[in-house]
Amino acid sequence: MFVLRRLGGALPTLFAVSLLVFLFVDLIPGDPAQILAGPSASNEEVASIRTFLGLDEPLLTRYGHFIRGIWDPAAATSFRTHRPVVVELAERLPNTLIVSIGGLVIGITLGTLAGIVSAMRPGGFADAAITVLTLAGISMPIYWLGLLCIWLFAVNLGWLPAAGASTPAHFVLPILVIATRPAAMFSRLVAASLTETMGKDYLDTARAKGLSETRVVLAHALRNSLVAAVSVAGVQFGGMLGGSVVTETVFGIPGVGRLLVDAVSRADYPVIQYAILMFAVFFVLINLVTDLLTQWLDPRTREQERSA
Amino acid sequence: MRSLRSSCTVAVLAAGISLFAIQASAQPAGVLRVAVGADPATFDPAFNDLPVGNAVDLAVLDGLYRLDPQNNVQKNLAVDSSFSPDGKVFTVKIRTGKTFSNGDPLNAEAVAASFNRMLDGKTGSIYRGLYASLGTVKAVGEDTIEFHMAEPNGHVLMLLASTAASIVNVKAVKEMGAEYGRKPVGSGPYMVERFVGGEGFRLVPNPKYSGDYPATLKAIEFSVVPEDGSRMALMETGAADIVERVPPESVDAIKALKDAKVVTPPSMFSINMEMVLRGPLADPRVRKALNMAVDREGITKGVLGGLGTPSVGMVGPGTQDELRKTFPPIPFDPAAAKKLLAEAGYKPGQFTLSFTCPTGRYIKDVQVCQALAASLEDIGVKATPLVVDRGTWSNVVGMEPDQRKDNMGMVGRATAGMDYTLYRLFYTGVGANRTGYSNPRVDALLKEGRATADLAKQREIYGEVQEIVWKDQPFLFLWYQTQAIGVSNRVQGFAVQPNETLVFDKVTLK
Repeated sequence: MFVLRRLGGALPTLFAVSLLVFLFVDLIPGDPAQILAGPSASNEEVASIRTFLGLDEPLLTRYGHFIRGIWDPAAATSFRTHRPVVVELAERLPNTLIVSIGGLVIGITLGTLAGIVSAMRPGGFADAAITVLTLAGISMPIYWLGLLCIWLFAVNLGWLPAAGASTPAHFVLPILVIATRPAAMFSRLVAASLTETMGKDYLDTARAKGLSETRVVLAHALRNSLVAAVSVAGVQFGGMLGGSVVTETVFGIPGVGRLLVDAVSRADYPVIQYAILMFAVFFVLINLVTDLLTQWLDPRTREQERSA
Repeated sequence: MRSLRSSCTVAVLAAGISLFAIQASAQPAGVLRVAVGADPATFDPAFNDLPVGNAVDLAVLDGLYRLDPQNNVQKNLAVDSSFSPDGKVFTVKIRTGKTFSNGDPLNAEAVAASFNRMLDGKTGSIYRGLYASLGTVKAVGEDTIEFHMAEPNGHVLMLLASTAASIVNVKAVKEMGAEYGRKPVGSGPYMVERFVGGEGFRLVPNPKYSGDYPATLKAIEFSVVPEDGSRMALMETGAADIVERVPPESVDAIKALKDAKVVTPPSMFSINMEMVLRGPLADPRVRKALNMAVDREGITKGVLGGLGTPSVGMVGPGTQDELRKTFPPIPFDPAAAKKLLAEAGYKPGQFTLSFTCPTGRYIKDVQVCQALAASLEDIGVKATPLVVDRGTWSNVVGMEPDQRKDNMGMVGRATAGMDYTLYRLFYTGVGANRTGYSNPRVDALLKEGRATADLAKQREIYGEVQEIVWKDQPFLFLWYQTQAIGVSNRVQGFAVQPNETLVFDKVTLK
């Protein structure tokens, strides 16, 4: 019930996004017909391509066409490839999801472990080393780190392929590179909230029961500190989908991010519009999932939900 | 009798062996790996606008004519051609017995259907305007095609030799729809076996091919890697045999590799600042002064890393070399430029202008524009480079001259054919003439040149047009880009056309 209500509540958001996407794309500099026709085209040639693409139609008709394309693939075709946008997106989405989800899972795992280590021995050598690495992880631009990793692991050591996406080995470097940011964020976050929780009375109770310190941290303290971490993970995942633009370009991975960049530079309006709309749907879903996870982790939020 | 029979046997055997030998030497072998920077959206020649798409079309489709690596026209499907006496009907005879890779016959009817598809407004081809002069295309019998021209055009061979005029299988286009753009059915030596959007594609020999350019490789594997550094890394790790577009800063690193080199064939890309001819720029003295203010040698070496040759004519090498004329380079003489400006009535600092530059469209475009602004400052012109994204740039340089707010725009021209290039840029009032250039003598010559099919006469006419344009200086002439392609030493017989199309006709691997 809650899920349905939340999804229903997202409809106005998605409608607003569809309007914004549609109108803003019109503001992108560059006329698709002019770009397709090339710099040597005459005015008449550009005009005939514009008519062919349906860009002469009134704004409302074009918006209707755009909305229709959501369920009718034939109404939503790319200006450049003439294939349905849904086919283009479906072909690229798996690559983007492999990299984002892979990066997120590895990042969260490493980050949480590092966070626990830091919190258990604050001020120790491990804590200091992790803090330095974390700082580097947060400050290093993904783009730069990616190129450095290609230089080291592909060119100098020859362990992994430099670019492409044809074998699983191609995904190793991008996933590790993209994992640095969530790993860094998580280690700080988990360390901070664990340190805070560690002083709580109920942990003393747990210790008094005779539980080992590991058990106390993992089973009692960590669960409470994860509440904040889950919402950060949601935001991170959204950010990764956006950041895929950069990673995919550096590593030559054919994903949605690169499709979007190419589409913007060539003014392929339908691809831009539906790709952004798809990202908006993802954000709605991610928010929903983080809310559900929070409720599972923290029963108090469930109580509020019932009384509301 | 016996000896006769045995000698016959020997002869037959020998013939068999030599036949076998020919077969063996022609057997396609080896897999060529090519890393390209641009992601081809479609190989459908009616819509493709990328050199990598041209390269695939050249390998997968056949045209009536084709261009060799120097952009000279050569016969392909065509065996003979003639104009009717009034120049209105152009007739081409084609070789018979060929089929498309799916077994459909490649006859006159198929050829006519392919052209009529491109010329049909409903197809929405981006080349319809360019080919409009072909008029209507009819098949006569099995092997003859008639072009009923919309206007006399003596440059029809150049048009037909472009990969945009490749013959597509219209029946397959109807069945496959947009998928045809990924796996075009053609009659060329190769066919597309696999296409993964944004990742790469693979060409394999077409078993049904017959013709002069049989496949020499077992496969050509393309991977798409837009990031320059990552693409170069593929060459450095030996994961690619050919890398397209080596950026100037990587040329030395690739050259230093033990088993690879950088080839630098000329490109027909003629890069210029195209002026909007009004206000101060309507004065030939000002245009001349601007042209003398630029140190082309210095900028091509210092900024382009050697990937440019100072212009010696408006059109670049390979545009149509039989008609191309070159001139002495424009001297770099800031003192004389200052004097000319003074003569035209501009004191230092009085004359301001702005020019529009794209980002990432041409080699080092942004840096070049900064360097040009500095050069113009040196002769007392306050020049502001307007560096914009590609979308804005294409809008600005595609505007009518009277709507332009800037004074010049950086544009690279790389269109095959003297008539096409010069007519569109310099004929008065034509829809692609963005400078507002108008010269009655040039108009008359261009008109005459378009109608004549006689090479000697064309040479005379276009020689004069090129000379007038070079003297009138409607552009701030800059340079021709040089291509830079990384090629592994195991690759042999590789060639590149001046329009950046990779040619795999004769490529073999060691």
